[in-house]
Amino acid sequence: MRPAAPLLMLLPALVLVPLLLLLPSQWHGGGGELIGRFLLAAVQPSLDPLVLRSLLGGVGVTLGMAVLGWSASLVIGVLLGAASSRTVWRTLGGHPWPAELLRRLLAIPRSIHELIWGLILLQLLGLQPVVAVLAIALPFGALVARVIADLLDTLPTHALEALRGGGAPAPAALLTALGPPLLPGLLSYGGYRLECALRSATLLGVFGLGGLGTELRLTMQSLEFRELWSGLWLLLAVMLTLEAGVARLRRRWLMPPRLGLAAGGVGRRGREMVLALLVLVPLGLVVARALGVEASALLQRPPLPALPPPDWAAVAALPWPALVGSTVLLTLVAACLAVGLAPLQWLLVAPWPAMKALMRLGWALQRLWPPPLTALLLLFLLQPGLLTAALALGLHNLGILGRLLLESAVDRGAAREQALLGAGSGARQALLYGRLAPVANAYLAYGAYRADVMLRETVVVGLVGATGLGSQLMESLSSFAWDQILALVAVYALLTLLGEELSDRARHRLLEGNGSPEAAPSQLGIST
Amino acid sequence: MPFRLRSAALVTGLALAVAPALAPAGAPPGALVAPAAAQSTSQAVLRIGAIPDQKPEKLNRLYPLVAGELGRQLGVKVKYVPVVDYAAAVSAFRTGDLDLVWFGGLTGVQARLQKPGARVLAQRDIDVSFHSIFIGNVRSGLRPFTQQKGLTALKGRRFTFGSESSTSGRLMPQYFLQQAGVKPSDFAGGAPGFSGSHDATIALVQSGAYDAGVVNEQVWRASLHDGKANRSKVQALWRSPGYPDYHWIAQPDLDRRFGAGFTGNLQKAILSWRPSDPEQKQILSLFGAQQFTKASPAAYGRIEQVGRSIGKIR
Repeated sequence: MRPAAPLLMLLPALVLVPLLLLLPSQWHGGGGELIGRFLLAAVQPSLDPLVLRSLLGGVGVTLGMAVLGWSASLVIGVLLGAASSRTVWRTLGGHPWPAELLRRLLAIPRSIHELIWGLILLQLLGLQPVVAVLAIALPFGALVARVIADLLDTLPTHALEALRGGGAPAPAALLTALGPPLLPGLLSYGGYRLECALRSATLLGVFGLGGLGTELRLTMQSLEFRELWSGLWLLLAVMLTLEAGVARLRRRWLMPPRLGLAAGGVGRRGREMVLALLVLVPLGLVVARALGVEASALLQRPPLPALPPPDWAAVAALPWPALVGSTVLLTLVAACLAVGLAPLQWLLVAPWPAMKALMRLGWALQRLWPPPLTALLLLFLLQPGLLTAALALGLHNLGILGRLLLESAVDRGAAREQALLGAGSGARQALLYGRLAPVANAYLAYGAYRADVMLRETVVVGLVGATGLGSQLMESLSSFAWDQILALVAVYALLTLLGEELSDRARHRLLEGNGSPEAAPSQLGIST
Repeated sequence: MPFRLRSAALVTGLALAVAPALAPAGAPPGALVAPAAAQSTSQAVLRIGAIPDQKPEKLNRLYPLVAGELGRQLGVKVKYVPVVDYAAAVSAFRTGDLDLVWFGGLTGVQARLQKPGARVLAQRDIDVSFHSIFIGNVRSGLRPFTQQKGLTALKGRRFTFGSESSTSGRLMPQYFLQQAGVKPSDFAGGAPGFSGSHDATIALVQSGAYDAGVVNEQVWRASLHDGKANRSKVQALWRSPGYPDYHWIAQPDLDRRFGAGFTGNLQKAILSWRPSDPEQKQILSLFGAQQFTKASPAAYGRIEQVGRSIGKIR
């Protein structure tokens, strides 16, 4: 028997059972005193002007890197997306095979995590601010390209055919027929990518690419928790402002105006978008100048070191099955934890509004706080190993999934929940069957996608030790063992491609099956 | 409505534009931004760096002093570029973003292998025979020992190294552990931790987050001296045999960029520092040394050998 959709959503939370059973054996609690100090510091962050100034500078750099990387990724993504769309190639005359080829090729930059891009580019370009920007722009660009191509190829083509039939030249017909319907998807997804870019820029900083992430790691390493919290609160403010801003613009530009006549009238949206674009371009230039990002740096490449001859025997001697096995296990545990825990937590706190506010704050902090730092914090209480890494990764993604769940469930199902409540069912039942049920399939579909993001992210919790490919990669990087790095990145890419394929299938099944098919495409548009 | 949006856009725009502009005002916000600033004035500036083996506050106090002193002695502009990662320091040296770097034994060998012709200039008096100290949390029940074999007591314990690329906090300790028959997988959790720096190792072991760890002797002594390490909570277990460690390494092309004989003058300047000069005294005491002495690449042959045997050098 197939469980009902809302229950299916809670199923992954079953991973808690083995986790809770294993936790006591991993618990050492030795750093309890440090955790106490850490928590206490949350309410008394450092207000030293010197610290704050340096943190503000860090926020500026991180935000700048995020905005530049994001803008570049959108440009790259739209161009490559159009170039890998079957419809575009078919219309321009000829076969869709170049689109297919490009689509496959783009899977490679996409399958490599921003961090690895950053570390590789650092070797190629030297210590340049442009490294962090490119590290975000390249994989994000490939991701955006995939989404744009998918959107383009699923748009209805009758307008295009009509224009072509009427004798319009191919490029003009494409732009007129596909441009406007593409816009909502592009805006919605683009906004989401900006939030991702902020998280990535912070994470890159943790690994030494500058900005607030760097400050966070340094204060964490020297256990200066009060300064750490100043940085965290600052970042939280920036992140929540950004998220709220993006959500607002998305609603304003994408939702049909509720009082059509009262609003600014025809063309308002277009004018505002042009205005936003006009602000964005000079802003990008100013930010680039302030950060010292110079495109010319790409041309003056420092020479590569004389590479030692590769030692393939040593590469083959790495414990591959164990590395791959624990990486996959880590991904699965973290994914189940994140996907299952979000609705479960919400259900648990449903009757108490104050608890719900606390949960939201918790989620915000979780997605803000880079996973390697969570891992370091967990090490104060837990043994190093897979479980600790899975918790770090799972908690971070719980913050992301939880927010998405809240956002999508708030738009839908309020009436149903009210009806159920009115009929006398409890707060939890009403939430589960009223609000969560309509979004269950879309949520799970997003969870499947998130799982392959987590696979890529296993690399960032490598510093907890014994976490498979990630920790091996960190070790190989500090040994400058190019042959090993190459092999590890290739295996990562292969795994990610495999994971993408599987999660794609899971998603399609979820969205085609029962549930709310009408909700699916828009949900997917935001989330892919 | 449009007004509200426009003002929102304006505020966002201003916030975004102003935030990065604040960056250069404060301390250098990170590794990436500083070198770019240095590069715009290119040739004239000598960029110095160091592996981040201790708390950033201490590095930020010490190296600007070094930059000031070298600038005064050599008559060139000297700029300190902070780096947050050992491997990044090696890479930055290879790509030519740093001209003079205070490397550890292992990172120095890695840097010279990646940049042939790099010059080893000087080491501290204490670097000829440097030691690691294995430390333990007092409550862990670990007791000091005198024989290397005593390291086997660490099996099954929560143990942390410093940085992955640290000579005194990882490379040589791992070698001594290996000699005593302790593999990295023998520690609790199946792997050692990597705290990132010596100060962090001391704090983590003292707190009990790890039962034991290993740090460089000079940082350990300094921490005991200034009270950062609390003897009732953390104690030394064993002092390792000596090995060569930290040294200054310079780019091979400094003479071409700064004028003939510059590398020699740079070396002479570092070697001339004495505690009799108040400025230099401060530098030397932060380095934990009486003075710097000449160093030769040959002295680090043993480090290279151990590095290769452990797989940190290829």
